[in-house]
Amino acid sequence: MINYIIRRLLILPVILFGVSVLVFAMLMLVGPYQRLSTYIKSPAELKTANLDSLVEKYGLNDPFHQQYGRWISGVLKGDFGWSETAGATVTEAVLQRFPATLELALLALIPVIMGGINLGVFSAVHHNDPWDHVTRVFSIVGWSIPTFVFGLVVLMIFYGVLGWFPPGRLSVWASDIIRSSEFVQYTHLNIIDGLLNANLKVVGDAIRHLVAPVFSISILWWAYILRITRSSMLETLRKDYIRTARSKGVKERVVVKKHARKNALIPVVTVAGHMVLGLLGGLVITETIFGYQGLGQFFASAASQLDYAAVLGLALYFGFLLILINLCVDVSYAIIDPRIRLE
Amino acid sequence: MEWQEVLINLLRNKISLLGIFIILFFVIIAVFAPWIAPPASPRDPYMIPRAGWSPQPKPPNEEHIFGTSENQYDIFYGIIWGTRTAFRVGLIVVGISTFIGITIGTISAFYGGMVDEVMMRVTDIFLSMPFLVAAIVLTTILGKGLDNVMIALVTFGWMSTARLMRSQVLEIKTEEFVEAAEALGASDMRIIMRHVLLNTIFPVVINASMRMGSIVITASSLSFLGVGAPTGYADWGQMISFSRNWILGTQGNALQFWYTVVFPGVAITLFCLSWNLVGDAFRDILDPKLQN
Amino acid sequence: MKKKIGVLLLSLVLVFSLASIVGAQEVKKEDTLTYVTIGNQNTLDPHFSYDTGSAEIIYNVYENLIAYQGESVTEFVPLLATEVPSEDNGLIKDDGKSYVFPIREGVEFSNGNPLTPEDVKYSILRGMINDRDGGPIWMLYEPLLGLTGLQDLVSEVLGEDISPADLSSEQSAEVFAELEKVIEVNGSNVVFHLRQPYPPFLNILAQGASWGSVIDKEWSIEQGAWDGSPYTIAEYYNPPKEDDPLYDKMMGTGPFTLEEWENGDHVYMKRNDNYWRRTANFKTVVIQNIDEFSTRRLLLQRGDADIIYVPNQFLSQVEDMDGVTITTGIPTQQNMVGIMNWEINTKGNDNVGSGKLDGEGVPSNFFADKDVRMGFIKAFNYKAFIEDVRMGNSIQIGGPIVRPLLGTSEDQPVYHQDLAAAEEHFKNAFDGELWEKGFQITLLFNTGNSARQTGADILKTYIEGINPKFKVDVRGIQWSSYLDALVQGNFTLGFMGWLGDFPDPHNWVTPYLAGDGTFGGYKGDLYKEWANETVEPLIEEGITTVDPAKRKEIYKELQTIAFEEGIDLWLDQPTGHNVRRTWVKGWYPNAMRPGLDAYILDKN
Repeated sequence: MINYIIRRLLILPVILFGVSVLVFAMLMLVGPYQRLSTYIKSPAELKTANLDSLVEKYGLNDPFHQQYGRWISGVLKGDFGWSETAGATVTEAVLQRFPATLELALLALIPVIMGGINLGVFSAVHHNDPWDHVTRVFSIVGWSIPTFVFGLVVLMIFYGVLGWFPPGRLSVWASDIIRSSEFVQYTHLNIIDGLLNANLKVVGDAIRHLVAPVFSISILWWAYILRITRSSMLETLRKDYIRTARSKGVKERVVVKKHARKNALIPVVTVAGHMVLGLLGGLVITETIFGYQGLGQFFASAASQLDYAAVLGLALYFGFLLILINLCVDVSYAIIDPRIRLE
Repeated sequence: MEWQEVLINLLRNKISLLGIFIILFFVIIAVFAPWIAPPASPRDPYMIPRAGWSPQPKPPNEEHIFGTSENQYDIFYGIIWGTRTAFRVGLIVVGISTFIGITIGTISAFYGGMVDEVMMRVTDIFLSMPFLVAAIVLTTILGKGLDNVMIALVTFGWMSTARLMRSQVLEIKTEEFVEAAEALGASDMRIIMRHVLLNTIFPVVINASMRMGSIVITASSLSFLGVGAPTGYADWGQMISFSRNWILGTQGNALQFWYTVVFPGVAITLFCLSWNLVGDAFRDILDPKLQN
Repeated sequence: MKKKIGVLLLSLVLVFSLASIVGAQEVKKEDTLTYVTIGNQNTLDPHFSYDTGSAEIIYNVYENLIAYQGESVTEFVPLLATEVPSEDNGLIKDDGKSYVFPIREGVEFSNGNPLTPEDVKYSILRGMINDRDGGPIWMLYEPLLGLTGLQDLVSEVLGEDISPADLSSEQSAEVFAELEKVIEVNGSNVVFHLRQPYPPFLNILAQGASWGSVIDKEWSIEQGAWDGSPYTIAEYYNPPKEDDPLYDKMMGTGPFTLEEWENGDHVYMKRNDNYWRRTANFKTVVIQNIDEFSTRRLLLQRGDADIIYVPNQFLSQVEDMDGVTITTGIPTQQNMVGIMNWEINTKGNDNVGSGKLDGEGVPSNFFADKDVRMGFIKAFNYKAFIEDVRMGNSIQIGGPIVRPLLGTSEDQPVYHQDLAAAEEHFKNAFDGELWEKGFQITLLFNTGNSARQTGADILKTYIEGINPKFKVDVRGIQWSSYLDALVQGNFTLGFMGWLGDFPDPHNWVTPYLAGDGTFGGYKGDLYKEWANETVEPLIEEGITTVDPAKRKEIYKELQTIAFEEGIDLWLDQPTGHNVRRTWVKGWYPNAMRPGLDAYILDKN
């Protein structure tokens, strides 16, 4: 297994290099003058901006390998460049937004996994009876509603009409509190910071802002987890040892809880990597809809402004995260189920 | 399982039957769009006609039965013609990306060794970027337009098929009849076409049909974010983006502009739902773990 | 066990959210002003800033020598100077070529450093050395030296084309000697020396023009800005934004100080308790950037925001809101114009179809034909645009200059839709060939700008109705591509806007009419030739004439030429509005203020 891990870690830079070349190549499809628009924001600036010298200054007309070389040599020194969208270096911009996204993703995982697994087990236990169909249809409906439709409807009802779940990350008054000198930001995760500072108002406000995005993420992923849990649960329920347990007269509830469920969870772990990827992509929409200042929203706005430093940096960052998570998944899978041997 | 058997199972299953009905409903709408909502300018029927120049949406009335959205685009017209857009994007993207996936997966598995290694690492690279984000980047670069959206979705949409195909082919490669054909000196092309593809393609095609829904959602998401379809093009995602600045209504009447989000929202949800219902039933039927 | 923890967690979440819903309605803080708007700030360096987002912050933190009086954009009051120079008080001398500013004593920067005339001189020179690409500093060079930037001055002094970034220290000193002549410290006075009279010079220095801000010399040098030495121009010329030492730091004499800046999210400003006038009414000023309009609206509705930015098309959503005051009809210094390219690039340009006069496209010189231009102009529905798109909040214009500047008047002629006349013009165009063969053209707009899109859609609707052979497509492209199309000459007709740098007609005729103007410069050689003969002499005369009565006549003539020749589709000057909670007192409009002026407001 150690060998496997080492091999995967060795391949990591190769993949990241590939990702950066791919993204860079895409960005190079845009003409140098068009890429100048990152630096020229209004027609007024055309008056004194010497376009040709700007192209030269930023080296926009250089051949691919030179431009790429400049960028990659910066990266190797830890400098990911300047993001015009964020008005900060890419590293700063990512670090600034990371806690927000992490908080959202972590909080979303709880209902996604708990809800999805329970629904799956429920559905499997009621295999092919009406409850099974109802659960499944509902989860498929959830999977079919685009996040932006669902998000807008949630906003319309729960914010517009009821005023419960506002968009954004914190209310103005709450951001005043967390910026004040009495409040220590240990983790930049507002809920945890609020608890550590014993300020329940901040915790409440942070949760209030998270309910709507977390809910729209959950509803999307329930169908997915349900399906996997259900299928492996059904398989497990047919296994010999379950049959034995049943024949011994163990109650059905106990069978499901004690024996079947545990084993049915293993396949869920395997799809975690896939889920994280989808989650990261989905956050782009969720964060945009709910005005939640995280990495997803940043990625979307950087991409639509062709802020190449930010797009490249974020692509690398996500790629890195993804490969690492997949590695963890593989390894933990091998630990859970010793029959699996990693190639 | 043979495909006839699968089909019978599909038609027996209530869930998939419902899905098939909804799909048929949309097919009818798409086919008869020019009669249901006659275009104002036949030169470009996909551009939604504007009923005026005012930015504020207007509620359903006799002339515009679903109302008009921001900038007076007729919602009914947009939904009808948007059905065609959805089918076009879904079928073309799924078709081409599946073809690419099959080709790469087959070659990779069939030849193995360095070819396999390189191709799979390239697949990994493409898989390392979140799908939606990669599509945003590429459409932004290529510019607005449905063709560009499709190019972007194809570019980042072939990898799962390639992997599936590869594992399928790897399985079948060792079987006797393939080895026999090889021993008989049949050409690679012939072996792939005759023996490998025919025996592996079925699950891949099913997998492809299940991606219709998510592809249409992704394409709409791009339009929603303002990098997809051209402004005014009949596209459900874009119609929903028109509602974005109005969904909170006005003070005292928070639901004033409900129709701007509800009608296109229902359309896109039903469309994706129908494919997902069929897909779900497919998976159930084909899941080896569930077979008695 | 696990389940119990889960249930516990879930119920905790529920309790918290319920508690927070109940406790959500916060009391309004009287010492905090919250303004919620869109966009971000490009920089906080007053010499780098050329966008309203930045200028707004700079306006509240830095101060200039003079300021506009109340709502006026033509009358001034002293600010860091103690008097506004004029011919009458003798502070404008040498036929308008010297301006004397007596500097106020007893003013301190917020760090306690006293303001001296030396600071003023340093500020101007630092700006002129900084002179970033695409920046605003041409507005100092043009009046003071009659040049566009440091590059021109270097070429003039050294007689060779050498970049200011490559100057040796000797060359630098040589250039600096010439540069230094523009501003002189004389006792407690600062004297500007202009090479030519430049009537709007006071406008260029007035509060609201961030390039006229006075910065603290000692502090700036500490931060790493220009060190005040004549030998180091090369080092400080045209810095990349991320290397600019004043990019995210501020030290002014103004009523507020910068507390925290998270670009694109929020700016916090604190009251400057050391302010030389009455201190401000707010302890804290928050400027939040939220692009989603619905969110801004609800913040206002719930009283979390005191003032919000409302795009014109959404004004109806705030009209009947309780406790909210809306002021509309404020004249702004901006306009919207349909720019027509006289020499469209036809190679590889899909906006012109075949690129020929064959019914499948348009020829390169399509808009050089006056009848074509007038055809487009007469086909536009001005009334519908102003009533439906602007919802009445705009003034139609009859030329590049906006009201109330010299050369404009309430009774000046404007265009009206006249489809018969449009048809007549199209019939005459290209000796009747156009009418017979028809054309196909693509009009561009930058996506997200729905007024520009609707403008193009209106043209499409009416022009296609005139002759079935006329085909007009409307295509939205991103700002980057829009700009690129303009620069590359691929532009056909598209709507653009100009935001006034300073309230003087010169700033309006130059970009639109001059052959090397911001827009005029991209209309090809045909236009350059025309402009060279007809309008440029007038533009030159206008800016060098001191007598306002004479200037008025000149600009009136330019306005008339622009109107009669149909150079561009002169559309409108949108009027602004302000949406605020009624408890915000003291607000009044000023067209040259970049946004919020927290000092004049009060919530008590």
